[in-house]
Amino acid sequence: MANLYVRAAPTTDLNRNTEWFTYPGVWSTYILILFFSWLMVLSVFACSPGMAWTVVHLFHFLVTYHFFHWKKGTPFAEDQGIYNRLTWWEQIDSGKQLTRNRKFLTVVPVVLYLIASHTTDYQHPMLFFNTLAVFVLVVAKFPHMHKVRIFGINADQ
Amino acid sequence: MITIPYITALTTYFSYGLLFAFGQLRDFFRKIFDWWSKSSLQGYAPICLGLEDFYVRRLYLRIQDCFNRPISSSPDAWFDLVERISNDNNKTLKRTTKVKRCLNLGSYNYLGFAAADEYCTPRAIETLKNFAPSSCSTRVDGGTTTLHVELEKCVANFLGKEAAIVFGMGYATNSAILPVLMGKGRLIISDSLNHNSIVNGARGSGATIRVFQHNTPSHLEKVLREQIAEGQPRTHRPWKKIMVVVEGIYSMEGELCQLPEIVAICKKYKAYVYLDEAHSIGAVGKTGRGVCELLGVDTADVDIMMGTFTKSFGSCGGYIAGSKELIQYLKYTCPAHLYATSISPPAAEQIISSIKVVNGEDGSSRGAQKLAKIRENSNFFRSELQKMGFEVLGDNDSPVMPIMLYNPAKIPAFSRECLKRNVAVVTVAFPATPLLLARARICISAAHSREDLLKALEVISEVGDMVGIKYFPAEPEKQQLEGDRVKLE
Repeated sequence: MANLYVRAAPTTDLNRNTEWFTYPGVWSTYILILFFSWLMVLSVFACSPGMAWTVVHLFHFLVTYHFFHWKKGTPFAEDQGIYNRLTWWEQIDSGKQLTRNRKFLTVVPVVLYLIASHTTDYQHPMLFFNTLAVFVLVVAKFPHMHKVRIFGINADQ
Repeated sequence: MITIPYITALTTYFSYGLLFAFGQLRDFFRKIFDWWSKSSLQGYAPICLGLEDFYVRRLYLRIQDCFNRPISSSPDAWFDLVERISNDNNKTLKRTTKVKRCLNLGSYNYLGFAAADEYCTPRAIETLKNFAPSSCSTRVDGGTTTLHVELEKCVANFLGKEAAIVFGMGYATNSAILPVLMGKGRLIISDSLNHNSIVNGARGSGATIRVFQHNTPSHLEKVLREQIAEGQPRTHRPWKKIMVVVEGIYSMEGELCQLPEIVAICKKYKAYVYLDEAHSIGAVGKTGRGVCELLGVDTADVDIMMGTFTKSFGSCGGYIAGSKELIQYLKYTCPAHLYATSISPPAAEQIISSIKVVNGEDGSSRGAQKLAKIRENSNFFRSELQKMGFEVLGDNDSPVMPIMLYNPAKIPAFSRECLKRNVAVVTVAFPATPLLLARARICISAAHSREDLLKALEVISEVGDMVGIKYFPAEPEKQQLEGDRVKLE
């Protein structure tokens, strides 16, 4: 198992902030982090599995919304600020829509929503919050929302 | 092609995620503390925008002692490293007066000209006395001395091109020449791993930039065909000029460019070739003429050859070599020629003398010996490292060899443990390399003796075991069968 090797070919993406997402192992790491955070929430709060999935789903919503759709630019200055008006979601794959990475990232919140709602037996108020979260996330990832700032929220001066 | 163990990829992403999460947490608390304490600069806009310096503040500063180490002697095979201490957990570092003698595995000292040389140094000192340390002028005003003219002739002869032009700085050569040659309506196709100077020069030129997969001639052909068929972005008019920019040896991979195939493709589609030989001039090839000689490409096929004098010639500055008309045009238009100070006279003399040594014109065979030594050293070191089980990149004959580290915690571990054993290595991480592929880059020099290399191998093997970077299985030792029988286990 330890001898399982993967090959990594350099990509043509010059944006160092987003090109790490094209290397092998990212999808598995993402899914494993979600699974282990569910186990941690279960052990810390000692709640039911459904509540734990709801907590994971909502926390995932907050974190991914903040880092993918709110924060703009890159965490280093070497690119002289050419991406300063774009959020991380708008930067990946050089702005091309409907690539494999984007489809994967859109499916993950939906699958989390289905797991959370199923394990809580579709009860309120968890269902309401879960639905709101997945709605916001999926709409933010639509191709038509590329570079759109509704009501000027998060727009530049 | 880099081969990573899958578990290492997962743990590397997890480590970076953890570092990122802790950095964000600290930033969050810092914002709260700053909100409490009023700053004196009310009403001013912030200097850094949002998370622009996040990487520097939260990741780079933690391991700052592995980078920017000051030295207090010339960067020969062994040099004096100044020790630094920190009282606030690496946020600031203070130099001490203590100095450590270390084996230098990081300097670009390919032919050993970085230290005092018996032929070059007296001549450089002579020139320092006759001329001055600086020419104090631009080339067009009063900065062209006989040395500059001789240097340009020397460089052109060395490369087998018609004429050459030299500049005071290698980075400025790329970033000032590309805007002159290319502009709006022209296309630059550059390798995805090209150096920052080329990227900045290309962005500053205003030309359209397309990137092709690193060292993949088939992808270059695909991009060329697509771009020629489509034409300029919105008008679809044909491109005014297309230039393909590649490097001789890629400094972070140690790989040689696939020059014959790329030149053949460019000839077929009538695009210009710009070859940046910063790391390969003087270091590869039978007589040190760079990657064209090594791979058997005629220099008349490469339209613009660029290089620097910092690496193999022990000086500073850059050059462009090409046809007479091209160099004449550059002398009229290039801002680095018209407005920047010309190359310093002792530095020019150092280059002329070192080229003479490499050619054998100083009357000895030291040049040929140095070239043979660096090739032998590089091949020996690389094969030994690979036998020990390290993942080493780069082709044979290339003096640059990166050892893959991957995990972010192994970067400072490797660097500090090697320093404790008096070996100085350079480690490179994000954002100079992709996130996953952090590495320690070793530059072999002709000044390294066999004992130096064996000591380096011993130290690297010991530290490698401690840090855990032997990702490939080591080759078993060959059994010795001299006299005593092999013991059966």
